[in-house]
Amino acid sequence: MAKVLEGPGMGLMKKWGIHVPNYVVVTSADELAKLGQANDWMKTSKLVAKAHEALGSRFKLGLVKVGLDLNGAVAAAKEMIGRQVGSITVTQVIVSEMVPHKEEYYCAVKSTREGSEILVANCGGIEVESNWDRVKRLCLEVGQTPSPEALEKLAKDAGFTGALTKKMGDFAGRMFTCFDNEDAQYLEVNPVVTRESDGELVALDAVTLLDGDAKFRHPDWNFTFAAEFGRAYSKDELEVMAVDSKIKGSVKFIEIPGGDTAMLPAGGGASVYYSDAVVARGGKLANYAEYSGDPPDWAVEVLTEKVCSLPGIKNIIVGGAIANFTDVKKTFGGIINGFRKAKSDGKLKGVKIWVRRGGPREKEGLDAMRALKDEGFDINVFDRNTPLTDIVDKALHK
Amino acid sequence: MSILANKDTRVVIQGGQAGVNAARRMAEFCYLIKRPLNVEAFVYPPDAGKTNEIPYGSGLIAIPVYKTVAEATKNHPTINTSLVYIGADRAMKGGMEALDDPHIKVVSMITEGVPEKDAKRLGAHARKLGKVFNGPSSIGIISAGACRLGVIGGAFDNLVLSKLYREGSFGVITKSGGLSNEIIWICSQFADGITTAIGIGGDAYPGTDYVSYLEMFEHDPQTKAVVIVGEMGGDLEERAAEWYGAKKRRIKLIGVVSGFCQESLPKGMKFGHAGAKEGMKGEGSARSKSDALKKAGAIVPPTFGALGPAIKDTYQELLKSGQVKEPVEPAVLPKLPKSVEEAMKADEVMVAPLIRTTISDDRGDEPCYDGYPASELINKGYEIPHVIGLLWDKRLISKQEAEIIKRIMMLSADHGPCVSGAYATILAACAGIGLSQSVAAGLIMIGPRFGGAVTDAGRFFKYAVDQKMSVDEFLAYMKKNHGPVPGIGHRVKSLRNPDKRVKELVGYVKSLNIKTPCLDFALEVEKVTAAKKDNLILNVDGTMAAVLVDIGFPVDSLNGFFILSRTIGLIGHWVDQKRQDSRLIRLFDYLVNYAAPKRREVPPLK
Repeated sequence: MAKVLEGPGMGLMKKWGIHVPNYVVVTSADELAKLGQANDWMKTSKLVAKAHEALGSRFKLGLVKVGLDLNGAVAAAKEMIGRQVGSITVTQVIVSEMVPHKEEYYCAVKSTREGSEILVANCGGIEVESNWDRVKRLCLEVGQTPSPEALEKLAKDAGFTGALTKKMGDFAGRMFTCFDNEDAQYLEVNPVVTRESDGELVALDAVTLLDGDAKFRHPDWNFTFAAEFGRAYSKDELEVMAVDSKIKGSVKFIEIPGGDTAMLPAGGGASVYYSDAVVARGGKLANYAEYSGDPPDWAVEVLTEKVCSLPGIKNIIVGGAIANFTDVKKTFGGIINGFRKAKSDGKLKGVKIWVRRGGPREKEGLDAMRALKDEGFDINVFDRNTPLTDIVDKALHK
Repeated sequence: MSILANKDTRVVIQGGQAGVNAARRMAEFCYLIKRPLNVEAFVYPPDAGKTNEIPYGSGLIAIPVYKTVAEATKNHPTINTSLVYIGADRAMKGGMEALDDPHIKVVSMITEGVPEKDAKRLGAHARKLGKVFNGPSSIGIISAGACRLGVIGGAFDNLVLSKLYREGSFGVITKSGGLSNEIIWICSQFADGITTAIGIGGDAYPGTDYVSYLEMFEHDPQTKAVVIVGEMGGDLEERAAEWYGAKKRRIKLIGVVSGFCQESLPKGMKFGHAGAKEGMKGEGSARSKSDALKKAGAIVPPTFGALGPAIKDTYQELLKSGQVKEPVEPAVLPKLPKSVEEAMKADEVMVAPLIRTTISDDRGDEPCYDGYPASELINKGYEIPHVIGLLWDKRLISKQEAEIIKRIMMLSADHGPCVSGAYATILAACAGIGLSQSVAAGLIMIGPRFGGAVTDAGRFFKYAVDQKMSVDEFLAYMKKNHGPVPGIGHRVKSLRNPDKRVKELVGYVKSLNIKTPCLDFALEVEKVTAAKKDNLILNVDGTMAAVLVDIGFPVDSLNGFFILSRTIGLIGHWVDQKRQDSRLIRLFDYLVNYAAPKRREVPPLK
């Protein structure tokens, strides 16, 4: 799943006929001031300014300011841009018009096993979270399009009455069209409000998750996806991602600050079992990593260097199941080169390395790892006869 | 017995190289279980009409490639299964094509990164047709002793170690490809092995999930227990638990789930397969899945490490209750034939080499010339003439000798456009012929009348010197046995119009104070011949030949110095014509002496 920030998210909704408030995304206060001269709504409406970054709890951090006039918004932008929050520097601010409204509603479309589900509630904001039973659903099979009647019935079931029933049904229909056409995995608008000026339903705040795998058929997705865990990617993480995008197979790397057990396992499945074993043994993960699909040795070497550079690590877990087609000798060759480089850079002092692996050319690969002992590495090598995660037990045995 | 893949499974593989690689692995398995290859055809439009060669034992089987699935099944009506190895952007189209083919009952998609919507459509379409769609991102399906679909099971040695040549009693369903192999291995070590193992793929919404396969296993009498390897995210494991707990089931269910580490990770941090994403409010967490499975009566070992012992316990129970018997292992298993290279490494065969070389070796990380690594030669200041010395005469020549060779090459690199070689190259270049052919056209001209006299000149001068002949004896010998002396005489140069190149080379070599018996002899010969006729001078071929023999180059290599040097010029001429975009050359009639008979009447044919 790929998270999209509000600006591009609202852009996609607008594309499919969903009313959104006027908004601009700017990278400087000056730019905002200039836009303010050109856009009437910025002079006449009350404005909201928000840091346009993948940050949680922006309100608490003072990165959301409401009820501003243009000067206030420019001042807010000036204050926000360049602010450092953890590893993220605020580089963009989104300024949108406030839409005066009385009632708040809720609408979402989510992916299900069969297809998708449209969710509608006649309450919104934080109220919907405490009244989850008021959310009504319309399940759709993949390939199926909801009829206007079904949508109206959904709105009616959710407690909408009068002219609003049809409007909400129509709104939910557009949400579905957007979801379906944009290969979305989750779309949520909370709240949906009635704009007093023209009585139209408007999406005030949106969460947009797209299917990154479908990017090839959306040439207009000209935005970058946001990191999903509330912080920006680190330099090393970005470097590994850049390698990952270039190769057959994959290499993955996520840093977890404060850990002491570094992970360098193979396979998307086994890597999580290794992480589980570390946690179960009371260890602290320093990272998540994984390589699979017979990646080239140089890619594994880059990954290894990043793992070896993690601060304060005591053990490195080079685990892996019995590979189907990943060449153990070749991929281990990359790891060995990475280890050697790290050692010559003065890293890996006092770090114990634990290896367990099977698969094509396992004997040659494991022998090459064992030979590192002669070069002064503190390395322990096990083959398929040692159960998968036993090396974690051995490493963390106190 | 087994599910999904059995002895009657016949396969079409949709895709290119990845599909061919899978077919090779499948052929290894077929060979192990002594059955014919189960791959009947490939579908890959760019290669349609060709065949893919798949090694089977020590032979090769040619498998035809078709443009469409329909063509494949029309020509091979026993095909009932398709493996899809097509890129993510075209995978859905390919998968639909296979599903819509009436012959095909099972489609397994290996492609990774298929959009979720496409995967759902494929799954829904298969259900509508009553067919099985497995994957995407599936490592494959394997039924022990019967059928392998894809690379699942790994290398040949692993197939044997994991006892995949005969049936066991355990079914396996995993999302992860690597772990499927691990569980197959565990089942073979802690129990009697597997019936069928299925990789369902790590995506959020696999085309077919645990429940459908559990239902199939439930109806397969050979399968006594099923191991499922789950992970956080989605509700597949919960649904499996629900199925298992719904009523009394014949099969035992053993399950592990990964993702407990999530509980102690920073909020929002997720990793693993695409499907490994926890839902809102804790649903889909490893703990909720694990609890659901336990509650439904499944055996849920606390860690992955405890899985082996749990499988062992289950197996012992099955043995005790008489539901399974200890398997009988076959006495002899086929061994995968080694490649010649592997067998040689293991000292098992001796091969009579086809060719023998004594000058160079490129098997390491860089070429070695007569044993010396090229980079070391470069770094220690050696130059092209030294490489010539190593490759032509297998010796490291001196600095002085290298200098002589360099000068010879510089003097003979080119001689203008009019000489035979350059003219031939230019003619070819103007006809639009490529570099190597045009240069070859020029090189073909090198022979007895143009540039090719070096070797012969060297041979005869050397003969004379070796035989201690006088100049008169030599000239008499040549006249009697061979004719004109090679290396003597020039078309345009003469005593009065000397060849500056000869003067230059002789002057330099003479200045070195080295012994030059051949050169000295050749100059003596010139004195006599030039006195008889003005243009019978020692030409550049003869001079080169004498000098090169004097510094020890073998006679047979001598023409090589001219060929090599002149190639520089020929390449220059070709590039020059190309740069000018020269037009085709045609001889003008006035340059031809038409000496053929005048036009006349053709007599009637008799």
